[in-house]
Amino acid sequence: MVGRIVRRLRTLLRAGAVDRDISRELDFHVRMEIDQRVRAGLSPEEARRSTLRDFGSLPAVREDVRDARGMTWWDGLRQDIRFGLRTLRRSPGYTTAAVLILALGIGANTAMFSVVNGVLLEPLPYREGDDLVLVQQSVPAFNLATLGVSIPELYEYRERLASVRDLVEYHSMSFVLLNQGEPDRVDTGVVSANFFDMLGVRPLHGRTLVDTDDDSGAEAVLVLSHEYWQSKFGGEASVVGRVLEMNNRPHTVVGVLPPHPQYPRHNDVYMSTSACPFRSAQEANVATVRRAFGALQVFGRLAPGASVTHASTELAAIVGDFDDRFPDVYQRAGTRGEVVVQATPLREQLVQDARPMLLALTGTTMLVLLIACANVANLALARTVRRGRELAVRTALGAARGRLVRQLLTESVLVAGAGGVIGLGLAALSLELLTGFVGRFTPRTEQIGIDGTVLAFTLVAACATGVLFGLAPAVTVRRNLAGAMRDGGGQAGEGAGRQGARSVLVVAQVAVSFVLLVGAALLLESFYKLSSVPLGYQTDRIMTAALFGNFSVAQTPEEALRLNTAILERLRATPGVRAAAITNAVPQTAINPLQIRVRIEGGADENPIERDIDQRVASEGYFDLLGVNLIAGRDFRITDTATAPAVAIINQEMAGLWEGRDPIGRRFAVVTNAAPAWIEVVGVAGDFRTFGADREIVPQYYRPLTQVPFGGGRLLAATAGDPMTLVPAIKAAVHTVNATIPVEEIQTLEDLRSDRLSVPGVTAALLSIFAGVALFVTLAGIAGLIGTAVSQRTREFGLRMALGASRGSVLQLVLGQGVVLVAIGVVLGIGGAIAFSRLINRFLFETTPTDPLAYAIVAVVFVGAAIVAAVGPARRATTIDPLTALRAE
Amino acid sequence: MARPARTDLLQGTLDLLILKTLALGPQHGWGISQRLRQISEDVLRVNQGSLYPALHRLEEHGWIAAEWGVSDQNREARFYRLTRAGTRQLKLETDQWTRVSSAVARVLDASS
Repeated sequence: MVGRIVRRLRTLLRAGAVDRDISRELDFHVRMEIDQRVRAGLSPEEARRSTLRDFGSLPAVREDVRDARGMTWWDGLRQDIRFGLRTLRRSPGYTTAAVLILALGIGANTAMFSVVNGVLLEPLPYREGDDLVLVQQSVPAFNLATLGVSIPELYEYRERLASVRDLVEYHSMSFVLLNQGEPDRVDTGVVSANFFDMLGVRPLHGRTLVDTDDDSGAEAVLVLSHEYWQSKFGGEASVVGRVLEMNNRPHTVVGVLPPHPQYPRHNDVYMSTSACPFRSAQEANVATVRRAFGALQVFGRLAPGASVTHASTELAAIVGDFDDRFPDVYQRAGTRGEVVVQATPLREQLVQDARPMLLALTGTTMLVLLIACANVANLALARTVRRGRELAVRTALGAARGRLVRQLLTESVLVAGAGGVIGLGLAALSLELLTGFVGRFTPRTEQIGIDGTVLAFTLVAACATGVLFGLAPAVTVRRNLAGAMRDGGGQAGEGAGRQGARSVLVVAQVAVSFVLLVGAALLLESFYKLSSVPLGYQTDRIMTAALFGNFSVAQTPEEALRLNTAILERLRATPGVRAAAITNAVPQTAINPLQIRVRIEGGADENPIERDIDQRVASEGYFDLLGVNLIAGRDFRITDTATAPAVAIINQEMAGLWEGRDPIGRRFAVVTNAAPAWIEVVGVAGDFRTFGADREIVPQYYRPLTQVPFGGGRLLAATAGDPMTLVPAIKAAVHTVNATIPVEEIQTLEDLRSDRLSVPGVTAALLSIFAGVALFVTLAGIAGLIGTAVSQRTREFGLRMALGASRGSVLQLVLGQGVVLVAIGVVLGIGGAIAFSRLINRFLFETTPTDPLAYAIVAVVFVGAAIVAAVGPARRATTIDPLTALRAE
Repeated sequence: MARPARTDLLQGTLDLLILKTLALGPQHGWGISQRLRQISEDVLRVNQGSLYPALHRLEEHGWIAAEWGVSDQNREARFYRLTRAGTRQLKLETDQWTRVSSAVARVLDASS
């Protein structure tokens, strides 16, 4: 059977060659015959003439042979296509409308599919990419989703894990690279020597890293990414061997990567672990500091036969051992199992945030395509009515029903094909925008593009669409015949069945559009609520920048304190700066609280209570700068030093733990195995949304920077004018204190706020656009249906009016028909919307998926818009002149 | 695919004759028609208009295969040969033919 199909396909694909074969073969036969007759005694001329006469019609024989090969089927198709194109050209209105509507539907689906394909479906672009697993540590008790792996932990995992081979480490840094004196900030991936080999990435030029590059004191080497090499070194292979300066030491370029998607994220250059000053400074502490450089991402390859579950079990056993050996490190709250570890497939980890969003949007675009299909099916049905006579005549002339159905399907597939081509163009245009959007959820955007798979998807979508909407008119072909012949024009010949089919299609469109509109309305409501949440702090004219934690600059707490104090002094002295603070609590830079278990001291007759509280560190002036009121007590002072009593400012939420009594002067302590180190509450600050408008306010306490000094953190600066104009001055202020501290991630608080809102904003906008398209297409469908109904009932309306019906009552009759359909659609849509809104529930902020108000508004708007759309064609019914109408047929 | 072609007797017969001829060795279309004529002592004359469609149909079925070669007169000719599926088909059709023709013969004998 398969052989048969293959042969048939080969014949069709080689149709030209087969035709030539047949001609040559017949030619040979004729020559042989002539030769034979010449040998028998005829003159060459005589032989030739008699042979050709006996042979009969050569073209007829050729046609029979082609038929035998099944090529005539193909010829028939070509004929159908030619005929279809001609017919479609004759009704440009229908063709244009149908092609454009389908282009929207197919385009939206193609765009979404290319994203889904690149993000969710394609395997990671690495050697056996699906075997890659991430070692993921977390501390659920402290709400810490990711606890970076430390160097000693990595070394133990590497030594003890049997189910995961070739563990590699990765962290990302931002360094300044001096290329012949020209400074350039580069995203630097710091990776262990086996990183590229494990992923199976071969260098384009030079080499990647080798084991000796990891040795401490090894010569510092760099591997350039393809993009960076292209843009900064003009793609010259001679860059290998060039010495560049970075972090005050020479780095030799040893290789260039191929143009290949980079994971976990894109970097400009890669260096070995020994070359990273922060990482290598901690290498010396591996024996003594258990969590030395706890900032690594660690991943590896599952051993043959090992499963992810297996790897997780093995990891958990190893961490259990950590618990026993280092209780003070791993049992911060005094319980075993605080640090949780598991193996996660790398691909899973990269796309987990994007998946629900992509699935919801894919569902949406599919619904849009369904509506487009139903709409075009309606158009096609109306057109079949008008073509009733043509089809009837062709049947009468002997065209088989199958042949007519094939003809109609060919036409609809042609229309869908054209829609597919335009849709592909639309998808290509929107892809960049969409990729940028998805990039907020996943780093896996580099494989998004229109490739063979996407093209195949579009082809299948277009063909399926064509058959789907073409079926409706095709199945009604026979039913129509007798009537069409009798009525001669199909004017009044439309059977009740077909009008019924069209009504069902309109109802379906209304229902599906209603679902999408409700989805859009819910997301807009949610977005509105989200953007109007009072944040509780000022965002006006305040900028923030990250001061990268620099272990080599501040080795001890005292050094860190001196550094931070000096930077703050400099900043406050900078003209144009109203206030400055250093903190790890810049609002909206973190999403999750870092919760620490604390014991709250009760009075003599009360039991102490324990709670998980978010701990933050801030310098004096922090609350004032953010416009947050101190409700009670005082701000931090520079006299709150390490030797002074430990103090804290708490938020109102935490103050509530003292149940109405004044918390000032009361104490709490972090729960450890040691004796409690009591911290005194000196102030209560107003609550504000540290983690964003969509996050709950949690109990928080702030410790002064002077008592909990740390290197790095973020600076906050309130300015008199536009904060961004002060960026150079602020950088200069930091650099006069220490020139090696990178000042990065400069943003205003307003930017941070709107950035966080952009994701729900764009989501709501995307769904609104889709819903708008659906509404528009559906309204056009309603208008079309009413329009045809009116023109088919011209005689009836004329008669009614002749018998005394008023224009108003006729209008009411026509509109009533439309309103009934819309009402049925809306009722069905409510059911669908309840199901669909559950799908988008996770994107909703303080909005119930079944919010009756949203449903009611959408229903009213829908019915209103439908009436407006229907009024135009319906009015035509009222302008019918009874006499003309009656005379018409 | 091993089923006798359910076509009218004449066409089925032609298929059988072609397959049988090719069982003797590869041959081009003209050669097949000549051989049929010689062996049947001029009784069976195959019209070209039936021969070539039949050849191509058999080729689509995969019972015979064709390739271009050079004829005795040094002309390019399309040579057909029996495939393995064709050999099986020939056996099947021969059996059927024998069965039908002996049945026909019995009927004719009875009525005379």
